[in-house]
Amino acid sequence: MTKPGWRFLIAMMWCVAATTPLHAQSPVDSLKTFSDFPSLKLDRLFAGEIFTERGALMNFPNGISGQTCFFVPASAETTAARLQTWDPSPHAELKVYGFRFLKSPADLEDFRGLSFQSGQHPVRWLMDKIVTTTDSKSELNLTRAEAQALAACTGRRADPANAATCWTKLLLDRATQFQRNALTGIPPYELPGPTAVPVEQLRAMLLEQASITHEFAPILQAIGLLGTKPAPNFTPVWYWTFFEADHHGAVALGAVYKLQVGDHYQLADVEYYVSNSYQTAVTLYEVWPMESGGTPGALVWRGDYFAAPMLAFTKGAERIAYGALMLQDIKKEVRCFQDSLKGKQ
Amino acid sequence: MRRKRTGLWNLFATGAVALACCASLATAADSMSISQELDVNYLYVGGARTRGAGLNVGQVDENSADVRYVVSPQLTKDVLLRVGLEWQRFSFGVPGNQPVPTVLQQVSAVLGFDYAFADQWLMRVEVQPGVYGDFHSVRWDDVDAPLILGAVYLKDADLQWFFGLRLDARSQYPVLPAAGVRWKFSDQWTLDFMLPNPRLEFDFNGGLQFYAGAGIDSGTFRVNSNFGTSHGLPALDNEVLDYLEIRLGAGATWKITPTITLDIGTGWMPYRSWNFHNADIVFRSHNAPYGQISCRARF
Repeated sequence: MTKPGWRFLIAMMWCVAATTPLHAQSPVDSLKTFSDFPSLKLDRLFAGEIFTERGALMNFPNGISGQTCFFVPASAETTAARLQTWDPSPHAELKVYGFRFLKSPADLEDFRGLSFQSGQHPVRWLMDKIVTTTDSKSELNLTRAEAQALAACTGRRADPANAATCWTKLLLDRATQFQRNALTGIPPYELPGPTAVPVEQLRAMLLEQASITHEFAPILQAIGLLGTKPAPNFTPVWYWTFFEADHHGAVALGAVYKLQVGDHYQLADVEYYVSNSYQTAVTLYEVWPMESGGTPGALVWRGDYFAAPMLAFTKGAERIAYGALMLQDIKKEVRCFQDSLKGKQ
Repeated sequence: MRRKRTGLWNLFATGAVALACCASLATAADSMSISQELDVNYLYVGGARTRGAGLNVGQVDENSADVRYVVSPQLTKDVLLRVGLEWQRFSFGVPGNQPVPTVLQQVSAVLGFDYAFADQWLMRVEVQPGVYGDFHSVRWDDVDAPLILGAVYLKDADLQWFFGLRLDARSQYPVLPAAGVRWKFSDQWTLDFMLPNPRLEFDFNGGLQFYAGAGIDSGTFRVNSNFGTSHGLPALDNEVLDYLEIRLGAGATWKITPTITLDIGTGWMPYRSWNFHNADIVFRSHNAPYGQISCRARF
């Protein structure tokens, strides 16, 4: 073949490669194209091992990330559906005090399970922070208007029932704003420190992950985290959760989006409000169908991105340790999810 | 001799320039990929009855100071380089011309790395080449390079195990193993059982912590070639000594800002020794009160 002939052939092959849809690759090959996992041992994956990779240091000072990869013995469709509607509260080791999905529109009834009656220190800690909030000072992530409303409502009385009522009003208001306006309906945090805008933090973290944002462009654009035109009528599952974080009680409001992309699924769990300990988080999932020994299963990649102000002061070996411990917690959660799919819980 | 001294000071000059370069890098480069540690400590121990070699040395008090600065650039996701300097000085108020050194001093570089070699394991390798002596005169004989190897197993956020090894060819115990644990066993209580400051800590609130525990200072130093002769014990000329000090006490740490912590403590020093192990001569101090203030910055 002449030289120009070779060039034409190579150019044609390049074009074919560039236009081949990703889902034509094997799930493991797809995963390798964007993730931090250079190789995966399938036999260990099928045996239930959870692979983890600590994320690289971000330029965004408050951000930290980690990746996990695991296999579940259920179809991709079932796995994606369970990820979207999974309730972690039955798993005691995850220290979740309360969890509930919200209706649309959400109402006070949706928050009925939120209680500060427990004598556990983390629960008492959060109640204490709620009732000691003043018009201009709080250790919780709030707007100034929220702090004023909370202070007026609690009257600084350490009454668990009243604190729950006041706190529920605040959460319902935030959930309602999100259900109406999605990401544009997230108020900033004006307390306890400098003003922070959760959605900007999420974007700052994701934009540093070029290969991830490229892979997850379909769902991130549909949500509105990337681009300017979110997909209309792209409805998530909304929830609130009351859990322990760093020995403190914390409440988060979240929304889990699910999108089918070819033969696989993408999910994004956005914690658009977190009361304390950190400011916001997003968990991305990609779920591919994958058979193990002739039975249907699913390969799951998970990426976690957290923004917390204290991370800006956590550097060096301490930062590495923090990332490693974060992955331990995520691994624990994944293990519980795997068990729940096996029918253990 | 002149040539030797020049070489030694060149070594320090080079180290200082390297550190200055690292420090300027630290300010110029991306602030998240370079961390800096600064530890400053001052300690006073009151007069303690001291004896040894059949001599009653009398009451010896102590002023000691320690300044340590380390720059730690991140080389890869799992490796951090550690480059820095440390100066530590023990000054003893020794009555008369007793054969106990009035000064023990260390000026050293800090060179090493941290490495996350598995999901839950971190290790640290650190060598501290420098001068360890009484600084009556600085000679090549005073140069030493103790090596510290450490590893931590991160069981979870509440429990971490520590393993360490100190290697110093000049010490009576050239290989010294150690193990420790940090266990947050309740919301407010943490057992931080790690050398050199094993403690039981109580978190009063996010910024204030109280503790009770121990403190250990140790090091291997060489005295000058005329030390013994000038103090009436010629066997101690140019000898190596292992210094050890144990303190028991309580104190408080206050997080002034997220990056700066102030620590004030007081208590009792039950034991201190200057062990000239090659000459088989040991001086020991017992029972004296102490006060300590230290500041720790991480940025």
